[in-house]
Amino acid sequence: MIEARSISKFFSIVGDDRTAQGFTAILSVSLNIAAGSIVSILGPSGCGKSTFLEILAGLQAPTEGEVYIDGVQVLEPLPSTREEMEAYRRKYQFLSPLANGMFKDKPRHEIAMIFQDYAVFPWMTALQNVTFALKLRGIASALRKEQAIAVLRKTGLGDSLDKYPSQLSGGMRQRLALARALAVEPKIILMDEPFAAVDSLTRERLQDDLLRLWEATGVTIVLVTHDAGEALYLSDEVIIFSPPPGAVRNRLLVEAPRPRRRSDPELLALGERIEAMFQYDIDHESEYCI
Amino acid sequence: MTSYRSSGARLILQDLGYFIKNALGSIFSREFLAVLIPLLALWELLPRFGVVPRALVPPPSDVAVTFWELLVHGKLLMHYGQSLCKFFLGLGIAIVTAIPIGILMGWNIAVRKRVLPLFQLLAPVPPPAWVPITIILFGVGLPMQTFLIFLGAFYPILFNTYQAVKDTEPRYLASARVFGASELTLILHVYIWHALGSIIMSVKTGVAMALVMLVIAEMYGGHEGIGYMLVEAKDFFQIPVMVVCMVILGVTGWFFIEVLKFIELKLSVWKVGR
Repeated sequence: MIEARSISKFFSIVGDDRTAQGFTAILSVSLNIAAGSIVSILGPSGCGKSTFLEILAGLQAPTEGEVYIDGVQVLEPLPSTREEMEAYRRKYQFLSPLANGMFKDKPRHEIAMIFQDYAVFPWMTALQNVTFALKLRGIASALRKEQAIAVLRKTGLGDSLDKYPSQLSGGMRQRLALARALAVEPKIILMDEPFAAVDSLTRERLQDDLLRLWEATGVTIVLVTHDAGEALYLSDEVIIFSPPPGAVRNRLLVEAPRPRRRSDPELLALGERIEAMFQYDIDHESEYCI
Repeated sequence: MTSYRSSGARLILQDLGYFIKNALGSIFSREFLAVLIPLLALWELLPRFGVVPRALVPPPSDVAVTFWELLVHGKLLMHYGQSLCKFFLGLGIAIVTAIPIGILMGWNIAVRKRVLPLFQLLAPVPPPAWVPITIILFGVGLPMQTFLIFLGAFYPILFNTYQAVKDTEPRYLASARVFGASELTLILHVYIWHALGSIIMSVKTGVAMALVMLVIAEMYGGHEGIGYMLVEAKDFFQIPVMVVCMVILGVTGWFFIEVLKFIELKLSVWKVGR
């Protein structure tokens, strides 16, 4: 269960005339994501959906609002007054608030994250990538290799254990990222456009793999994407972000039964609705810009 | 799965073969030999036929003879050994201090803010400018020479390591953090590996600077080393000896840079094929 309570994120950016300006990336987003579901966050690029995912993962502190994963707060929000900010800076002077600790590997929450690129470490083989993640989760070294091989087999990488990511195809790399995420048996997997960099055939296969593994493990998946078809095919609920500042524009429940077909008329109809929404936003862009 | 593992001795021999092939390959390529051989021939023939005075430009055959005499009758090996010792000592100290400090500065902004400005102020002082004060502080001898070599190699290694660690792709860090990596694990398994290429590159620069400082340090003090031989040869106007010293220094630098290239190749197997 992920609970996001009115999350906002402001950045200050320096404009062309060298004056600082405020930029609102996310404006008061509240979400509840039930355990075991697949939820997609869909939106045009630059709408703050990746930032939102990083806030869920505890990789960025929200300016306002709180995130709770199974009742445990992820990161304290940034302080709002100058004095508090100075105290915050002093407190985290040597160790960033994101750090898990200086010497001891300890995850804060049972989550894993998959990025579009840079998902796996290029200096480790497929097997080393997975055993590294297992090591961070405190699995005894005797068990690591066995578990890692089992997961890699399940994701169809049984023949590529000793290959480096540079020797794998784009699709295989994402599959390795998926294997690494699943290996630690997380409760939640956060995915930031995981299939955006692969060709469409591979993408469809990866989506089917993901669904298969999801059904087998019952993990919660939060998927950020800009592909409406992908969001509808995979998820129980699609949350549509508005153009910047990112806010929840619409929420669509996808109730089509599984297994789904990509050509399901219900999904296609929903897809057209989303399309129409985006088109409306583009046509009425000026209203947002004021 | 195919296994390419074989016994240790064979692996070492195999690696040695690769190394020689890699190192000498560029020199003994047909294209380069077509340039090198005429150049050597010119160098040999011009002084021999009196186009340039032979006393000032000794042909390679004279240099080779001088080299042999120095090796057999002179103290070339002793001088060279002395120089190598200082070189390794200075460069080694620079490597084991600059790399950790660079990593710490790149990793943590608080450390960076406290330490980096100091080095930024000190680094622009040209290393040879340290010679007089070093002689006064350490006297003439091994400590002074080692310190000067260290000084030459330290800053290039420090700044390149720091920069490379600082530029580590944040998404690698993020994914390791979500899995629960501590800062120490991040340093050992992410930062260092991401920066490895630049760190080795910086050690190559360090080798070049260490050689520069080696010659300067030995010219200014002591009674042994290649730099001392150079000064002595100047005093006795032995031009072939000078050329021998220069060739030895050049070959030394070339050799260590080839070694580093080979280490880089070995350590970054994962980059092959990109």
